[in-house]
Order: sequence, then C-alpha cells, then structure tokens
Amino acid sequence: MVKRYPGRDRAAVQELTFEVPPGEICVLIGPSGCGKTTALKMVNRLISISDGDITIDGQSVRQLELTQLRRRIGYVFQQIGLFPHMSVESNIGSVPRLLGWSKTRIRERASELLELVGLDPEGDLKRYPGEFSGGQQQRIGVARAMAADPPIMLMDEPFGAIDPIARDRLQNDFLRLHQQVRKTVIFVTHDIDEAVKMGDRIAVMRDGRLEQLATADDLLASPANEFVASFVGEDRGLKRLRVRTLHDIELEPADNGRPAPDGAVEIDTSLHYAFSRMLAEGVSRIPVKDGDGQPRGFATVEAITALIAPHREAPSAAAPAPTTHES
Amino acid sequence: MSLAVHPLLAAGGGPVIPTFGRASNCVVQNHQFCASWVSDNWSAVFQPALVQHIVLTLIAVGVGMVISFVAAIFAYRHTWFETPFSMTAAFLYTIPSLALFELLVQVTGINRFTVEVGLVSYTLLILFRNTLTGLRGVPAATIEAARAMGLTERQTLLRIELPLAAPAIMAGLRIATVTTISLATVAAYIGGGGLGALIFNAIQSGFKTEFVAAGALAIILAMVADLLLVLVQRALTPWARRRLAPS
Repeated sequence: MVKRYPGRDRAAVQELTFEVPPGEICVLIGPSGCGKTTALKMVNRLISISDGDITIDGQSVRQLELTQLRRRIGYVFQQIGLFPHMSVESNIGSVPRLLGWSKTRIRERASELLELVGLDPEGDLKRYPGEFSGGQQQRIGVARAMAADPPIMLMDEPFGAIDPIARDRLQNDFLRLHQQVRKTVIFVTHDIDEAVKMGDRIAVMRDGRLEQLATADDLLASPANEFVASFVGEDRGLKRLRVRTLHDIELEPADNGRPAPDGAVEIDTSLHYAFSRMLAEGVSRIPVKDGDGQPRGFATVEAITALIAPHREAPSAAAPAPTTHES
Repeated sequence: MSLAVHPLLAAGGGPVIPTFGRASNCVVQNHQFCASWVSDNWSAVFQPALVQHIVLTLIAVGVGMVISFVAAIFAYRHTWFETPFSMTAAFLYTIPSLALFELLVQVTGINRFTVEVGLVSYTLLILFRNTLTGLRGVPAATIEAARAMGLTERQTLLRIELPLAAPAIMAGLRIATVTTISLATVAAYIGGGGLGALIFNAIQSGFKTEFVAAGALAIILAMVADLLLVLVQRALTPWARRRLAPS
C-alpha cells in the first residue's frame, strides 16, 4: 500500500507490503514520522489509501462499506478517546449497540469484558470514564475495542501515555488476554522494548519503507542493516535474553535423584531473569526446575552466551585465566 | 391648569392614586410598597402580566435557540460561515434595545411579532457562540474513537458531539434567558405587554407599589428561570460532576 499527501515529494508510506497471520501480534515500529501510524490507520481507513490495497481474509478494505469495515475492527489508541458522557457500560456497548444487540446482551458482554481486562464488573459498569485513572481508562478502551468480538485489533501506541508500572501490567495483562482470544493485532509503538515484548513479529519502518520484518529474536540476533541494528540498540544481546527462555539453552545435567534445591528457577523463565539472578547472587550457574518442581539441571552463563552469540567462542564465565587465552 | 395630564392620572382623579375609592391608606399615601394592593390585584394585574412575560421569553429564546443551533452546526461543518453569522449577530447585539425596537416598528409595526424579532435578535450572538464553542471543545480523540468505531457523521453529532457540547450550550441558554427576561420589560415600550407594561404604567402614574412589585417579579422570574436551567443542565450532564478525586 502507498500513502501520498498532496504537496509532498516523498510518500508517507511507500510500497509497504506485509502480511499478518491470523491470531498474531504484528508490531510496527520506527522513529517518528516513519509512517507506522499512517499505515495502521489505512487498515480501517481513518486515512485513505492512495495506491495499492489492504485485504482482510482476501477481501479488500476498499470495497467494504466504511462503517461496516470499522465495526469489525477494534481500535485502541494512545489518547484512549473514551466517551466522557457515557457510563463504562455504554462505552463498551457502543459498537454492539450499532450492531443492534439487545440491552441484556450488551450488559452481559460489558461485564464479561470488564472482568477480562481486570476491572470490577459489579461496581464499575455504571461509573463514568472520568472516575478512572489513565491505566484503568485504557483497560476500558481495550474492552470497548473488543466488545463486538472483532477478528482484528489495531493498537496505536496504546500504552504510550501510561506510567511505566501500570504500562508493564497492562502489557502483561494484554498478552495474557491475547492468549485467550487470539485476535489478529497490529500494534504500533516506538519503544523497542515494548515491541520485543508484545510482538510475535516486528516490522521496522523508516521513511515509509519496511526495513525488516522478523520475529523479535531474529531481529535482535541479525538486524538486516545498520539502521535496524542501531534502532534495536547496542544492547540487543541483552534484549534477546527477554525473548528466550531456559528451554532454549543447553542445561547442565541435574544431580541425580536430588530434589530441586531452594531458589531454583522455573524452566519457563526468561533468560533475562535467570541471568539477573546469577548476577545478583554472584554465581555462574543456577538450578532449574520444571513446572512440577522436578529438577531439570543447571543453567550456566556459558550456555546463555552460546545461544546469544553462537558465532563467537564462548568466553569462560569463571574469570578466564590469561593462560587459557594464550594457549 | 393648562398642563397636559396623562389619561391614567386624570382617570384616577388624584395625583397618583390609580384606584380611587376603597383604596387603603398605604395606597392613598403612595408608600414604597403596599403588599395588600399586590395581593388584591394579583390575579387581575400581575398574574396575566407574568404569564405574558414568560410566553414572550419562551418564544424569543426558543426561536433564537433554533436559529443559533442550526447556524452553529452549519458553522461547525463549514468554517467560513462563522464570521458572517457572528458578525451579524454581534452587530444586532450592539444596537441599543430601545433604538432597535423603534427601528423595527417602522418595518413591522407595533405588535407582538416586532417584539419577538427584537428579542430573538439579542439571543443569537450568545447562543451561537456558545453552541459553536461547545462543539469545538469536543476532544479530537473522542471524535476519532467514534469514527473508528464506525459511527456515521450524523450518529457522531447526535450521540457524541452534541451531548458533550451540552454544558456550553446550557450556559449560553442561561445567559440568553436571563437577558431576555430583562430585555422583555423594555419591549413593553412597543406594546410587548408583560411585566414591562406594569413598569411603564407605574413610571407614568408614579404609583410606587406597582413599580416595585413588577420590577421584583421580573428579577424573581429571571432567578427562577436560571435555577431551573441549572437543574436541567445537571440532569442532562451527570457525567460532568463525576470525576476522579485528585490524588
């Protein structure tokens, strides 16, 4: 798809082509003015498409009637945009009401969604948006976007204006929610950490062009060019630790027959967490257990390094002696 | 005595006494305020004038609101329309009321229609400005959310923009109503009737009780109308007072 604005030499979005598999979260990321929000808004035609096309399940968005198209796409954005004069229930019920749902059905749906996004269906339905904090308002915003169970959700820096602690919780809650409902999500952000955390795949954009489309792990492991490398950051090795778990590394065998020692970390834990534990405890190996508490072995710094930088010779974690270097 | 005597005074026989005969001492001596005269004459004099005054005001504000509302919505969609309309309304607003009524009489004669034209023209500026300001004050994010949800332009106006503009519209309506109640007393000059007629009457006759009572009624009417509109506003916008307590 292409977006051109009259009077501008360069198109805001230039021949951008990508595909989002159903049920995935695809993150669009890039510096300000790279066209990521423009691209997002072309999907529900808040911004018109100059050239090219966007298809949903093979159907062109240009052929669908505008209101019909939009009612099937959930939209969440940074400014939230709740209707201040409507109760939480009416806010969530906005699209269902347009679709002609009954009052009872809308109420049930609103209750269900409030619970899903972590608010209180008993007390909060009748309150007004102004009575909630920013983080809570965005939870309502997410609930409203999902009200009519749209297969697709567009999220434009949804957690960008929320304080870091609440943002982290919202991200986690949204990921958990996504596990349950499996919407196809296009998620715009300029925060690489958020992209790495949220995205099944990440599309890095610059000047209206797609620079690289890859999973978070691939993006961090092998940036396609200088721009992507600098955008994901010097510390991309560290960031990769967040997207990989202890499943992904070679564990040293467990001590046979012994139960997992106290302080063992679960195998589903991110390498980032396991590594910070090692740093904090000043050790180079840490016991690992599975979900049932059975010992699985030991994670070592060498194993982590080998995964993150396989092409380099793994340095010995236990303070390499100069002699080993020379030999 | 070659001095021209006002018919009312002549009819009264005395210098200031409107109802000769069984008038109380208070009336005969023309005290500042005679409550008994007011209560005796309530249904014959004050009640009809009050009702007339209310009708004058309702028609003026109602017609003014319809015109301003349509104009404001048009100006909201078509920005170019704002300047000519508000300039016209502002021009009308600056004409002194007596002069405006006098001018209108030349065109439409001494009648109720002329009075209403005058009163309506004074409501336009405030109602138009407030309605337009209210509509423009709707946050862009709210409108974007409405569009993204698939509300049509009309649905957005009716369900989102107008309800959110309601506080500003109601504020304009309050000012316009109070102003019109006050201005309508002047309209008696060209046969508008209402409480103004009693005041003009009292000025000419010098009968203080009628003057004070009619003036007070106009003030009370304005205050009551304002209070009622506040209550309506509160009923219409329960959300405006329910906010997160600042932490």
